Amino acid sequence: MPATLTVEDLAVDYGGRRAVEGVSLTVGRGEIVTLLGANGSGKSTTLRTISGLVKPARGRVLYEGRDITRAPADQIVAAGVGHVPEGRDVFVEFTVLENLLVGGHTVSRRDLAARLEGAFELFPVLYARRRQLAGTLSGGEQQMLAIARALIARPRLLLLDEPSLGLAPMLAREIFRTIQRINATGVAVLLVEQNARRALRLAGRGYVLETGRVVVAGTSRELGADPSVRSAYLGFGRTPAPAEGG
Amino acid sequence: MTTAALVHVVVSGLATGSIYALMALSLVIVYNATRTLNFAQGEMLMVSTFAGWTVYAHVKLPLVVVMLIAVAAAALLGWLIERVIIRHAIAATHFDLLIITLGLSLVLRAAAGLAWTHDEFPFPSFFGTRPIALGPVRLAPVSLGIVGASLTLMLGLWALFTRTRLGRAMRAVAQNQRAARLVGISVERVYAASWVLASVVGAIAGVLIAPVIFLSSQMGFVTINGFIAAVLGGFGSMPGAVVGGMLLGVIENLAPLYLPSSIKHSVPFLMLIAILLIRPAGVLGRVTRPKV
Repeated sequence: MPATLTVEDLAVDYGGRRAVEGVSLTVGRGEIVTLLGANGSGKSTTLRTISGLVKPARGRVLYEGRDITRAPADQIVAAGVGHVPEGRDVFVEFTVLENLLVGGHTVSRRDLAARLEGAFELFPVLYARRRQLAGTLSGGEQQMLAIARALIARPRLLLLDEPSLGLAPMLAREIFRTIQRINATGVAVLLVEQNARRALRLAGRGYVLETGRVVVAGTSRELGADPSVRSAYLGFGRTPAPAEGG
Repeated sequence: MTTAALVHVVVSGLATGSIYALMALSLVIVYNATRTLNFAQGEMLMVSTFAGWTVYAHVKLPLVVVMLIAVAAAALLGWLIERVIIRHAIAATHFDLLIITLGLSLVLRAAAGLAWTHDEFPFPSFFGTRPIALGPVRLAPVSLGIVGASLTLMLGLWALFTRTRLGRAMRAVAQNQRAARLVGISVERVYAASWVLASVVGAIAGVLIAPVIFLSSQMGFVTINGFIAAVLGGFGSMPGAVVGGMLLGVIENLAPLYLPSSIKHSVPFLMLIAILLIRPAGVLGRVTRPKV
């Protein structure tokens, strides 16, 4: 059975420069994989290329063994890839309910009601706010809405870009618990996250990007123990410290 | 001035206003999807109306069929323009597109002149000429007919935009194109649908107004008032387009009663200047877009 996602030797020009250069990675079925790296290291560009918003200069993207490199974004979504972009991108002039309905753009009328129910079950606060304009929600609620909206299409791969950005620690923890619950239903997750410590705790494996290249790859335990990762992303000095649990 | 006469003036103002509102709606529909101001909207409407009229001149079909022919021609024209011209200008700036549609309007007007000459032609009206008396008030059937048909169309548009998947997709694209792509909306298809829909709405306005202003290659200029109506209501807002159109039609009709009658043709521009000075965002426009 092919991996959920295989990225081969991806090179992407973005904003007038080479943002990603020769990135290869895989996400297996039901896996959570994290992409770490500083700002501008190419993490978001990699996600945007997978979901078809940006076309690569070189390389291939395979989803469940199918080449989706040149497919338009709407078809990639319909094929089962959900992308929750950085900054959430909820439709601010739509109500919560309308955001979820539009999230079901590719879903048949027959299935839509059940999918909405599922979303409200996962995020009860969205049900309470269903008639409210999305623009009036708090940051955490908007993040939940963005995730719920992507889930309506029932993706088998979820790309999450900085889901905890700008959230209070308690809300961030809640988002992470939710990601775990989503993953438990069999959805593979590729997670870009500024909080490397938390991302490694959640993910089984990870890749570290620097200026568009993969510099370290391994299991979360290996990355957590890697001195360069520890000093750059986990806030530790170069002195060895006990490894974090995976 | 008697109340009855006043009612008459207001109703005929609402009729003109409905037409402005439909034209404003077609401009706003294209603008919201593609951020392009379509300078050729008036000429697209003119060509579609001519298409209906040409068939009518050869075979005397019922006017409803003439309207349907104009609508079909408009749909085809809107689709062609989007598919053949606009889509290939995907890298163009808004200013480039403005110039493209401006050029398109000149081409369409010249082509219409070649096909149908630059003369004015009477266009058959759906509505009778015998005034309808409501107590002391006498109303022209054409006014009531235009208002009724326009309101019906607006109701249909409202249902389309709030109740259907396509309408919701169009509103989603207007708000955030990246997010629209990520929920599986084909933005290209929404562009095409917007051009077709705007063209169709324009054609209906054209067929309704042609009996009043005559059919000619120059009739597209009336869209300028549609543009002003859209600005009055708040450019980009569809309810605003309707309110702006009605407001403009009524004030334009009332002004000559109280001011020198030569003022009538200046009213739209005076109102445009006034709204830009008092409330540039328009009556229903947002003053600032909420940034999240």
